[in-house]
Amino acid sequence: MMLSKTRIFLLSYLTVLFLIIMISSSAAATKYKRTVEKYQVPDVTLVNQEGQKINLRTFLNGDKPVILDFIYGTCTTICPVLSIGFSHFQKKLGPDANSVRLVSISIDPDNDTPQVMKEYLQRYNAREGWDFLTGNREDIIEVMRAFDAYVINKMNHYPLTILHLPGDENWIRINELLSTSDLMQEYKLLLKK
Amino acid sequence: MTMRFLLVTVLCFLFFSTAAAAQNEKTVAGFTEEEVLLFGEKMYREGVLPSGEPMEAIVMGDIPVDGRMFTCDDCHQRSGLGSVEGTVITWPTNGRELYRPRRKTGAWRQPESEEAKMDVRKNLPAYWEQIEEARPAYTDESLATVLWTGVDPTGRKLNPVMPLYHLEDSDMAIMVHYLKNLSVDLPPGVDDTTIRFATVVSEDIPAEAREAMLAILQAHVDVRNSQSRHQERRAESGPFYKTEMHQAYRRWELDIWELQSPANTWSRQLQEYYHKQPVFALLGGLVEGSWQPIHEFCEEHKIPAIFPLTDFPVISESDWYTLYFSKGFYQEGEAAARYLQAQENIVSGTKIVMVSRQGMAGSYLNRGFSEIWQEFGRPGPEHIKLAPDKKLSEQFWRDIMQAKQPDVLILWLEPVDLANIRTLVGEKKLPGKIILSAEMLDYSFTAIPDNLRDNVYLTYSYSLPDSQKRSKQAVKQWLRARKIPVTDLKMQSKMYFLGWMLTGAVKSMRSEFFRDYFLEGFDMMIDQDYAIAVYPRLTFGSGQRYASKGCYIVQLTRGSKPELIKRSDWVIH
Repeated sequence: MMLSKTRIFLLSYLTVLFLIIMISSSAAATKYKRTVEKYQVPDVTLVNQEGQKINLRTFLNGDKPVILDFIYGTCTTICPVLSIGFSHFQKKLGPDANSVRLVSISIDPDNDTPQVMKEYLQRYNAREGWDFLTGNREDIIEVMRAFDAYVINKMNHYPLTILHLPGDENWIRINELLSTSDLMQEYKLLLKK
Repeated sequence: MTMRFLLVTVLCFLFFSTAAAAQNEKTVAGFTEEEVLLFGEKMYREGVLPSGEPMEAIVMGDIPVDGRMFTCDDCHQRSGLGSVEGTVITWPTNGRELYRPRRKTGAWRQPESEEAKMDVRKNLPAYWEQIEEARPAYTDESLATVLWTGVDPTGRKLNPVMPLYHLEDSDMAIMVHYLKNLSVDLPPGVDDTTIRFATVVSEDIPAEAREAMLAILQAHVDVRNSQSRHQERRAESGPFYKTEMHQAYRRWELDIWELQSPANTWSRQLQEYYHKQPVFALLGGLVEGSWQPIHEFCEEHKIPAIFPLTDFPVISESDWYTLYFSKGFYQEGEAAARYLQAQENIVSGTKIVMVSRQGMAGSYLNRGFSEIWQEFGRPGPEHIKLAPDKKLSEQFWRDIMQAKQPDVLILWLEPVDLANIRTLVGEKKLPGKIILSAEMLDYSFTAIPDNLRDNVYLTYSYSLPDSQKRSKQAVKQWLRARKIPVTDLKMQSKMYFLGWMLTGAVKSMRSEFFRDYFLEGFDMMIDQDYAIAVYPRLTFGSGQRYASKGCYIVQLTRGSKPELIKRSDWVIH
């Protein structure tokens, strides 16, 4: 049976309306910008809070899920909130805290020495499984560029949390500050993949 | 007579007892004014309650915060004037801003003179009246409410980044009182037309060096003041939306505070200068010996001191008011330790022998090395301290090699001390690394014999000679344009940079001439590698007080004109 023009128009209209509603309701479900990205981790050696040399590619492509952010020790607003989030997330995970690798990468490598980073992690009651990495300025810039996080002026940086499951080519990128419940939800979603 | 005496005695008693009572009057939460401000400061800056317990809060809706992790001044800054970082704008929380309505324009202020009120360019256009204020002035009650609930007097919810504090009534009263008094009155050294600065010079500084520094500082002041005719006219007649920008203009004045010997009287001399003519901040400065007396004076009076020219700064992680170029000699010692640890990764049991003379340079270098070396959990080096008149004979070097057999030999010594160092070459086994300070050698590299150069490593705390030619050229042109002869390019480049930064920091204050806010202007500066001609880069951040964070380790080529071979990054991790 042939559909009349009016019926076709009505059907198309309803389909478009349905899609719009679906898209907007899914956007409303997340209060933050969340995208799926593909990143190539640079093959650089950074230094952690203990002064140990860490190959970043090996470190991030290990057997544990990774949650990554970019911070610096004397940051005024964004980094303390990101770090409080990491701290509370580890607390919520309790004995499982070490089952996920939290990685903070310094965007002020000149000032963030291992000693500065160690004191920073202590201030946030960091447990095992949370590392703060610094390194050669050129290497840090390369890492920031690889994760599309490069800013010329560190004061212009923005909150960014990146999640990754071992072996997955996709990385989840969130460009906002998160509550613990939001971060936990993202982490659980990641584990379900 | 007796009655009269009695009357005077009674009146005196009444006067003094009233005064004493007023002084001890409990103002807030049962504490005196002084106590409240101290407790409030501790809450604001350290996140600790008067009880000694940490403040508690919730951030981002569900994250409990221990106040010591994340303090008020992290975001709102010590001045309370707020900050902008990336996507987060932190509004002012100083008393002056909180207790007056916040207009949507932010900048506009009611013209003060009757004449100005009549000027249409000074007044807001009619439609502006229809726009409501962003919020009314806070009261003590509404300020407490917003800190507890995150809801302001207009009913708007603050960004969830702002913690919601769990404070008892008495602690809240202290917090509110502190904020109400934070950055309210402008400090001495600034008025409606002028910001006054001073520079400190000790009498024993050679005339050429003194002149080199002063000429550049004065040139910066002259450049600034040459704009005054236009700026003052604009402030008078500019349109309403540029009121704040134009009214922020102040002329600069520069005083010279010359200090007479001995150094133990400097503190008193500084007090006298300051008492006679207060200044807003100190700029540059050049003294023989340690900067410590001036540093301490600035901490005591909360006076910013920007980029003094010293190799002997105070090394402190917590002092606030002096912003140095670097840690001076200390930084070179630090770099040597970092290099041995991170790059050479020397094994435990490596024998390190350090030789230095009594004196400030050696002492700073030793301290820099030893403190960092200890941080790495390494045992301290064996230290040979030389008396001031000790001559280093050939036998001295032979003894060191035979008796100590060092794997690493650190020599914090001057060129004259190296006259017989070639004796080392005759020894069976040379130390693998012989470390010296380029600054202490006064860059006289030929003092190091050719056949030792493969083993010699130098700490070098400036840009390498062939780099930053363009920046150096820019400084030279700037000097030439002002008819200042190039006498000491290193020092002149630093003072040129000071003026570059000063202009930005003063501008960032707008009309909020508070000293803490002035320093925060430097803290928020973008990392600098353009205008600074003598360091690879200078970096800044909240509370960072040594702008240069690095120091190269270099080796020398052989020959009478040795070149530098870079052996490390600028910052060694």
